[in-house]
Amino acid sequence: MKPTSDSILELKQVGFRYPDGSVGLDGCTLSITRSSRFALLGANGAGKTTLFLHLNGILRPQSGTVSFSGTPLDYGRRHLHALRSRVGLVFQNPDSQLFSASVREDVSFGPMNLGLDGRSVSNRVEEALQAVGMTECAEKPVHNLSYGQKKRVCIAGVLAMRPEVLILDEPMAGLDIAMQADLSDILDRLHCEGMTVIIATHDLDFAYQWADSLSVMVQGKCAATWEAERIPDVLRELAGYGMGIPRVAELYQRLICSGFSVSEGLPPRSHQDLLGVLAKVHLDRG
Amino acid sequence: MLIEQSANANRWSRVSPAAKGVFSLCGVVAAYAAASPAAALGVAGALVAVAVLGAGIAPGSYLRVAAPALFFLGVSALSLAVSLEFGEGAGQVALQLARSESHRIAQLCSRSLGALSALLFLSMTTPLSDLIALLRRLGAPEVLLDLMVLCYRTLFVFSEAVHDTTTAQSARLGYATARLSLRSLGAMVGHLTVQIWQRSQALHLAALARNNDGPLRFLEREYTNSRRDQSLAFIGGAALIGLALVMP
Repeated sequence: MKPTSDSILELKQVGFRYPDGSVGLDGCTLSITRSSRFALLGANGAGKTTLFLHLNGILRPQSGTVSFSGTPLDYGRRHLHALRSRVGLVFQNPDSQLFSASVREDVSFGPMNLGLDGRSVSNRVEEALQAVGMTECAEKPVHNLSYGQKKRVCIAGVLAMRPEVLILDEPMAGLDIAMQADLSDILDRLHCEGMTVIIATHDLDFAYQWADSLSVMVQGKCAATWEAERIPDVLRELAGYGMGIPRVAELYQRLICSGFSVSEGLPPRSHQDLLGVLAKVHLDRG
Repeated sequence: MLIEQSANANRWSRVSPAAKGVFSLCGVVAAYAAASPAAALGVAGALVAVAVLGAGIAPGSYLRVAAPALFFLGVSALSLAVSLEFGEGAGQVALQLARSESHRIAQLCSRSLGALSALLFLSMTTPLSDLIALLRRLGAPEVLLDLMVLCYRTLFVFSEAVHDTTTAQSARLGYATARLSLRSLGAMVGHLTVQIWQRSQALHLAALARNNDGPLRFLEREYTNSRRDQSLAFIGGAALIGLALVMP
């Protein structure tokens, strides 16, 4: 994907190696559009988490540049402070992110670091807990929460900093179906409020259904980026990266290939969409 | 875990920790100031009654938490009260009761019991995060408080990790014999050591991602009726001290 004037985050030929010599990023180029939903796909060790740590300024590229709103990142203390308040990062394992044993205290950690006064922090904490539906658990100890609830607290902890970009590393990992649906609703709500939401996932079906655009990472490189609408046209290419293909897209193509005539329009991206298409065809035939 | 459960589930868990701290401190002072063993026992009894009847802590939980400390206190009292006397002949050992010191020993033990009750009152009615916030307000060193926050949180993370690892090892007969148990235990300790290092790195990154570059700061909880509770704690504490001084 070419960088556009509306790109909120851009990586240009970013390279990073860990001290043990393993490749984190290798000439990675990527552009993420403001207020979009972006899914990053890739096998374990492909560099997704490393890329996210670059976007939040935790890791500094050894080559290439990372830009936020068109401006290359400045790694000075003050600029990093500003960047991290605008780009929030939710880690994969909630136990690696939650500091305090109290839900309310943990959510307040970010806003307190922004130097806000008590009343503002308190307001932000309440808003963030409400946004993820955890207000009733505010007084609970963190260790008494379920895995899914801990994930929500992690998201609230970042939302309380009111970032423009929310990055979530494998947000659906370890969640049951109901919790995945809840989390998907939360992400949709945040996107509707204008937030740029970026996720890393192995779940291609979810990525295809949810994202505006998808990228595949292979061995530290951003191998390809597509608008979600284009996915049905690039199924073979997608499969070539070892990511499989979205089941809805596969089924839809098979139906068309076997002479199933459907009215024009965007191809279905979810199971629900496909059922809708089939119902419409059934009605037309009737 | 019992302390943790009681601290979060009792009727006074949301009462100002300052009030509970004042009452507990008065309890320690009363126990120390008690003129007689009976007075110190009276203070201890009052503190237990307040914890059980007032805060609603289950007597069974209270006794289970107090048991190790009571055992230690019992052993200490026994070692003070009884001494071994070795005779001149081989194998001549006699037990001697320190009768002359019995009053002092009773005084010491009853005071310890009173102080123990005061500390148990505080720890079993107050979540540790509230106590840490109270210590912060009292000006305790930041580094100490940060360590307390992290240790408290990771305690539960690692107890879960220990439980999972032990279960996984048991499922593969890791504790079938004494030798295998020792081996499994060693493997678990090694595994946890690496985990501790990795998790400390992850926590550091998570702190950086949320803009932390110094002490771990959290929003302090607001308590309703804080002033009223503190006043009541002062009155209750003064009554305890009065009881200790007046009781024969």
